Amino acid sequence: MVANASRVSVAARWLGLAALLFGLIPALLAAIGGGYPFQVAITALIFVTLAVSLNLVTGTAGLLSLGHAGFFGVGAYAAALASTKLGWPFPLTLPLAAVAAAVVGVLVALPTMRLISIYFAVATLGIGEMIHVALLNWVSFTRGPMGIRAIPPIEVLGLDLSGVVGGYYAAAAVAAAGIFAVHRLTHSYYGNALRSLREDDQCAAAMGLNPVRLKIEAFGVSCAIAGAAGAVYAHTASFISPDSFRFEESILILAMIVVGGLGSLPGAVVGAVLLIVLPEALRGIGDFRMIAVGVFMFLSILFQPKGLLGEASAIALFRRQLGAAWRGDIQAGWK
Amino acid sequence: MTAETLLEVTALSRAFGGLRAVDDVSAQIRKGELVGLIGPNGAGKTTLFNLISGFTPPSSGTVVFRGRTINGLKPHQVSRLGMARTFQNLRIFPNMTVFDNVSVGAVGALGYGLRHGFFGGRARAEEISARTWAALERVGLAGVAGELAANLSYGKRKYLEIARALATDPVLLILDEPAAGLNDTETAELARFIKGLHAEGGTILLVEHDMGLVMSICERVMVLASGAKIADAAPAAVQADPAVLEAYLGIADDEEVA
Ligand SMILES: Nc1ncnc2c1ncn2[C@@H]1O[C@H](COP(=O)(O)OP(=O)(O)O)[C@@H](O)[C@H]1O
Ligand SMILES: [Mg+2]
Repeated sequence: MVANASRVSVAARWLGLAALLFGLIPALLAAIGGGYPFQVAITALIFVTLAVSLNLVTGTAGLLSLGHAGFFGVGAYAAALASTKLGWPFPLTLPLAAVAAAVVGVLVALPTMRLISIYFAVATLGIGEMIHVALLNWVSFTRGPMGIRAIPPIEVLGLDLSGVVGGYYAAAAVAAAGIFAVHRLTHSYYGNALRSLREDDQCAAAMGLNPVRLKIEAFGVSCAIAGAAGAVYAHTASFISPDSFRFEESILILAMIVVGGLGSLPGAVVGAVLLIVLPEALRGIGDFRMIAVGVFMFLSILFQPKGLLGEASAIALFRRQLGAAWRGDIQAGWK
Repeated sequence: MTAETLLEVTALSRAFGGLRAVDDVSAQIRKGELVGLIGPNGAGKTTLFNLISGFTPPSSGTVVFRGRTINGLKPHQVSRLGMARTFQNLRIFPNMTVFDNVSVGAVGALGYGLRHGFFGGRARAEEISARTWAALERVGLAGVAGELAANLSYGKRKYLEIARALATDPVLLILDEPAAGLNDTETAELARFIKGLHAEGGTILLVEHDMGLVMSICERVMVLASGAKIADAAPAAVQADPAVLEAYLGIADDEEVA
């Protein structure tokens, strides 16, 4: 009975989240008027997807990655090339982008997985730069700095999502899928395994966990989600060039999860929304707005070093929400 | 009549540069034994431990556990064969709850992969959870399961580390200086606890720097000095052994000078 009641409330909460993402927010954006709010929302959702995916490797598994924008770029180019050259529709370019980014991610990361802390970070920095330079110089394939134009808009099984509103729904659906996947992984015992690597990977190995395998899995899943975000970006922007997938973007994504709370899923969402929406909301103050954003980041880290929504409280919240009987009387732990 | 041999090391050696930290050690542990391993600081106890559990590859010699030669296996592979360990310098996962710390032992032993994470793995999760609670109950930490491990007192962290090892449901439990940093009352309590585990049928290798604890609870004591095994007998016999006395007295003199 208790289990049933909690399952209902879990379903209700997910429905509530869906209502917010697919009902309330687009209604509000429409009320503000024009295409611009939707444009900003699409960007925010793409970065929510990126932040959530980076949070899996960096926040939860503790691997500081400084090249995440590179995998975003691999996904975007895979989708752009498949749709412009082969005529593939979005339902095919989306999984292609995810797989391409995951494959590149796992291949280049394989030799680096044994590196620790700062060495791993520098290796990923190099990987990100390599991807950027490859996109820039492999002109016959990527058209180099000219970028790829006229990427067809999103259409799913006859459903036309070509305008900004349609793009919003597509971006929201992909972000929701990314959030759900990372939620499944991090709020289960699999998440405990990843967190134990971050805390002390030798000790985790002594408990029977295979650190290298777990790190590669987490990295692959993270890159796949970033690649999916790339597909959304390519199809909604209709033009991409290597400039969108640089070190600056990697750092921006990292700042989002640090401000939100490393290892915290809701934190990653909030951090991404804030760091995209804030500069737009501050357009009125012109050039000062990036200073204001910098001050915001500085103060937020100073006063909330564990992030706006820290990991420990976020996990406790999810556990209660899932209604899992993890306290004494029903000895079921949590999902 | 003797119980089956669980662990057998033969002519095991490990050198660090010119230093022979473990020097030609052979030893056996049979099922159900509570064996002590003592020796002065720097005798090579932790190194021997690391050789057995796969953390350090041996320079030469073999380690056979449950009939399988395990040298060359990685620590997680050795762990999955049923050997669990704690660390000399208390290693817990500070930013995880007590429950989650211990669950890692159960996850490592039972397995909970990507597949389980994505698709639910409910049955496996319940198994992990039951084991975690059992281990927490066993060490008396069930009441603080939701606390962050970093907030526990030093003494409780020691039990947390043991609970995490117990959650793997080990065939052999090896404890590296569990009494280090504990006061006399806490050490006596720990001694009772370890004896209890043994009475339940556990096979335990207890590594200690201090003779007292080991002599009071172990059935058999091995002594390591400068990497070599110098004694392996019942506590009373070991205490009367001139070689052991010399090894310890030699160190005691040094410590007085220092
Ligand atoms: N990784 C290592 N590299 C070099 N020397 C080491 C290493 N580990 C241990 N030693 C040396 O091996 C000797 C035995 O150390 P250890 O096994 O820690 O002794 P114990 O646990 O008995 O105090 C010491 O002299 C120590 O300095
Ligand atoms: Mg030691």
